[in-house]
Amino acid sequence: MTAYDIAFAALGVVATGAALLAVTTRHLVHSALWLVVTLGAVAGCFLVLGAEFVALVQLLVYVGAIVVLVLFALMLTRAPIGPSSEHTTSLAHRGLAALVGAGTATLLLAVLLPLAGGPVDRREVASGQLARDLFGTWVWPFELLSVLLLGALVAAFAVSRAVRPDTGSAGGTP
Amino acid sequence: MSGLVPGILKGLATTVRTMTKPTHTAEYPDAAPELPPRSRGVIALLEENCTSCMLCARECPDWCIYIDSHKETIPATTPGGRDRQRNVLDRFAIDFSLCMYCGICIEVCPFDALHWSPQFEYAELDIRDLIQEKDRLGQWMPTVPPPVALDEHSADPAELAASNKPPRAAGLVAGGRPARVARPAAAATTAAEPTPPVEPMLPPRRRGPSAAELVARASDIAEQQENGGEAR
Amino acid sequence: MTALEVTLRAVAVLAAFLVLPLLVGQTEHKVMAHMQGRLGPMYAGGFHGWAQLVADGVKFVQKEDLTPAAADKRVFRFAPAIALVPYLVALSAIPIHPGVQAATLPASAVFVLAIIGVGIIGTLMAGWASANKYALLGAMRAAAQLLSYELPMVLAVSSVCLAAGSLSLAGIVTQWHWWWLAWQAPGAVVFLTAAVAELQRPPFDMPVADSEIVFGAYTEYTGLRFAFFLLSEYAGIVVMSFLFAVLFLGGWHGPYAGALGWLWTVAKAFAIAIVIIWLRVAWPRLREDQLQRLAWLVLVPLALGQLLLTGAVIAVTGS
Repeated sequence: MTAYDIAFAALGVVATGAALLAVTTRHLVHSALWLVVTLGAVAGCFLVLGAEFVALVQLLVYVGAIVVLVLFALMLTRAPIGPSSEHTTSLAHRGLAALVGAGTATLLLAVLLPLAGGPVDRREVASGQLARDLFGTWVWPFELLSVLLLGALVAAFAVSRAVRPDTGSAGGTP
Repeated sequence: MSGLVPGILKGLATTVRTMTKPTHTAEYPDAAPELPPRSRGVIALLEENCTSCMLCARECPDWCIYIDSHKETIPATTPGGRDRQRNVLDRFAIDFSLCMYCGICIEVCPFDALHWSPQFEYAELDIRDLIQEKDRLGQWMPTVPPPVALDEHSADPAELAASNKPPRAAGLVAGGRPARVARPAAAATTAAEPTPPVEPMLPPRRRGPSAAELVARASDIAEQQENGGEAR
Repeated sequence: MTALEVTLRAVAVLAAFLVLPLLVGQTEHKVMAHMQGRLGPMYAGGFHGWAQLVADGVKFVQKEDLTPAAADKRVFRFAPAIALVPYLVALSAIPIHPGVQAATLPASAVFVLAIIGVGIIGTLMAGWASANKYALLGAMRAAAQLLSYELPMVLAVSSVCLAAGSLSLAGIVTQWHWWWLAWQAPGAVVFLTAAVAELQRPPFDMPVADSEIVFGAYTEYTGLRFAFFLLSEYAGIVVMSFLFAVLFLGGWHGPYAGALGWLWTVAKAFAIAIVIIWLRVAWPRLREDQLQRLAWLVLVPLALGQLLLTGAVIAVTGS
């Protein structure tokens, strides 16, 4: 039981707890804020495991940009203070979601549990090593992912600027 | 878009140039402000000029002037003379929480009892303390600046012209138009008695003090106040 | 590293975090005043109003701590901390002298950028939880602005990292040569512009435009919590100025760098802070669409061009 173990376990508990709160809370914006805590705790886990650069990028991209974007989108549309009842789902919905979630978790646990146990195996990953892996071994998946994202972006543009047949004008004039 | 970069640089240059120049700030409580001579700071009262005629109180748009007075009888100075009455001022107060500094009271005063003083530091913690009674209003008199000097070739002020006028008797001697002395009829009825000169019989005309008088009086009051302060 | 050393370093960073923003704030008071032909604070503390911000702090402490009735109370109360703490953490990673920094990190440049990016969540939380439409508008403007300007900023920093071949701020300063001033000039311009925008300072103060949306996300705040937001703005100026000095002006490089290196870093950072103040006085506020246009049509291409230039020079010189 080293300090790394304790830190990793604590961060894991925080991440899991915040994740559970993020999906169970009835406050929309709280949900996004709990997501911040989860992602931050996951970044902390990376840090404990020695992958400093990954942790920082997690923080920079997910907390600093993606969640901000989520919050921005929430505020732009509808984000009332207090529980929003119109977004609550039926019991069947929830049961189904819980089932799917539990299934995924079981699958992941089945794969990961045999690897667990023992003290935290801290391995310092140099940024150079990471870069060589990313742009050498894994360059094709990486590029494929970026092409996918680019495609999504272009598609989003196309959808938002599409000519509406009923109005006949460009742009989304209501 | 073409004027953008010069504009941006101009903004930077202007601010830096201003920074190198002396500032315009007046450090008020430390350095007294230079007020123009006709500043409307507070209204000063020259009590002995006031006849309690109530013109100021009636003209005041805010009704912020309070005047109380009573009449006193002055016994005749000469045997067989008539007793005279005069107003004595009991209370003269200006409520500066209502006053809007229009200056109508000063304009309307026929006897120059009210004057503008540039003093403005009489704030109070309680609004009711802004009612200044006549003694307080009188204390502002030393701060009233002397009137602005007349232009170079202007006519003499009315007071000066009146006092420089040759006496009426002299007019006859000078051989100009004969001065009107008294009505002939009246002269005829009183011809038996020796006629005293008409001038002293007339009630002394109350006219405003001249500039010199004002300044002299103001310095007198200031002296009095100083002495009083020492005595206290 | 012993516990004592850790404590000492933490205390040193905290002291710098509490003193330097006040210093910048006082400088802003005086510089802005003189640029406008005024004197600025002259009374607090006696000598040229040096204690004005201390007096302001005392005033803020005495004020009532209000929470709007309709607000999301926990988020509302927690937001100032989220806005303030990231700058404190970022300050700890900045080297001011060879080997002198509070926390030694291999990738400190990325660390500082990542941590600064978290601060925006505090503004978003404040704006949303206030239950005030001006606050919400301000928060949305802040979010849109920070998302747009984060990209050119990261690109500008990555250009310097590329030039130095290091992600560590200390490593970048070690590699720095005077001719980088010209080489990295476009990146420096992009970084300074993006930094001012990230700090929501004029001319990029749309999120707190007082004539339009009162005070943006901070409209409902009073007392100490409001003071925390103000402090975070000035701490942000300090962090950004130090970052600029370290990344683009060569940190401790200068005459007698061995003994006076820290002084050089502080002096350069202070000069940048004065430039940021100067921009506030000199220029009017941009409109929201001009703001976005500037970020995406000018700064991002400029930053990409800088990155290309850096890469080309490195490829040619083969270093």
